[in-house]
Amino acid sequence: MLSSGRRFDRTTALFLSLLAASFIFATFDVRAQGEGAGGIMRDGAQQLFAPAQKAAEFAVAPVVGFVDGISNIAGLRAENERLQAEVNSLEQQLRETAALERRVAELEAISGLEAPEELAAVTARIFSAGPGTFDQIRYIDKGKADGVLVGNAVIDEHGLVGRVDRVTENNARVRLITDPLVAVGVRVESTNETGVVTGRGGGALRLEMFQATQPVREGDVVVTDGSRFPPGIVVGFISETADVVVGFALRTAVEPAVPLSEVDFVKVVVGWSPLDAGIEEPGGLIEPPPFVDPTTERR
Amino acid sequence: MRSRGLAIALASVVLSVVIQTTVFAPDSVRLFGTAPNLVLLVVVVCARWLDPEPALFLGFTAGLLVDLLGSAPLGLWAMSLTVVAYLTLQVRGRVADGPLVVGIGILGLTFVGQFLFVVLGTLFGLQTITDPQLVQNLLLPSIYNVILAPAVFWVLARLLRPQQRVWST
Repeated sequence: MLSSGRRFDRTTALFLSLLAASFIFATFDVRAQGEGAGGIMRDGAQQLFAPAQKAAEFAVAPVVGFVDGISNIAGLRAENERLQAEVNSLEQQLRETAALERRVAELEAISGLEAPEELAAVTARIFSAGPGTFDQIRYIDKGKADGVLVGNAVIDEHGLVGRVDRVTENNARVRLITDPLVAVGVRVESTNETGVVTGRGGGALRLEMFQATQPVREGDVVVTDGSRFPPGIVVGFISETADVVVGFALRTAVEPAVPLSEVDFVKVVVGWSPLDAGIEEPGGLIEPPPFVDPTTERR
Repeated sequence: MRSRGLAIALASVVLSVVIQTTVFAPDSVRLFGTAPNLVLLVVVVCARWLDPEPALFLGFTAGLLVDLLGSAPLGLWAMSLTVVAYLTLQVRGRVADGPLVVGIGILGLTFVGQFLFVVLGTLFGLQTITDPQLVQNLLLPSIYNVILAPAVFWVLARLLRPQQRVWST
């Protein structure tokens, strides 16, 4: 390859052309905000790959579950050493069924979960994740055909998982709350003050409160405020106590309530959209007080 | 042979994308919260044996596939994996062959490919550089790729170079 200068030139030229093409793709995709031709290609790729991903997920689930089950048992053994004698006789059986039990338990929990304010919700299963190391997305097996729309909140029995950001007929993509592009309007339950939680790509979330008047304490519950997600869904717990400093926004960390790396089944809240927030809460439009005729009132 | 090799390499990339998004998904096989970057590894291994143009095309296509199924703007992984394929082409004829050198090469190429994505992602507004687990997410997949490399080499060597030994050039 390197012995021929002409060959090298062709290779370099192709390399530079592909880089230029990639750069143009990226620029157009950012400008189109993921819609347009890029969006169509994404939806097409998602629909094309979904059957293979579902098949692969189905095929490897027992193996993955078995490995997971063994690791779970190992963890429990360490924690419950004094119960070892009782556990021994059940260990073999647990190894074989741990994976299945975990899935069933999760499905039962999600089935018994009431959506906030009895809103309509669709139960879905996660069948794949994003291929990149830094992707904070999941694919679920419910789509437009099931009433799922872009913007719907996705929850599980612990709290908020994320929101739907792409939908095809039978599948949807969920952007997790740990994604830096996801911002959630929240309220700290102990102080009843509001702020914004944003993802940092993994781990703890960042909470910013611009009008805070009271400090937040470690362990305080943070719930959605109803601006973009249905109100009252648990987002996480304050992991670092923070005091109010006059003139500065209160900034601290929030540990997500949902163990996002273990989520298997979720519920998509299809009966609520951000537009409902405007109807329920007269935040944007303030209704004028009713007119009272002073003469009538005197009588 | 050339088109057959490219077809096999493309099929391998598609398969690796399916495995990456299912077997190595966050609720599946992961160690310390991170998985190998199998697609990148397949690109490196294939680029080692393919002709230069098909190797570059493969890197670009693999990256585009990852972009289409991922959350980053279209083209960022395409750029990163094209660079990885190009670097593999540059390195493959210049260094002595052998498991150790190949291992170090894969470690470095995986790290460079992912680091490039982090830089590009940050430039395009993804804020990947703010990830608190950034170092872990860059280092661990590189190490996992080195561990996975013998198996991937073994399979792809038999498909792409059936007449030759695994480590031969």
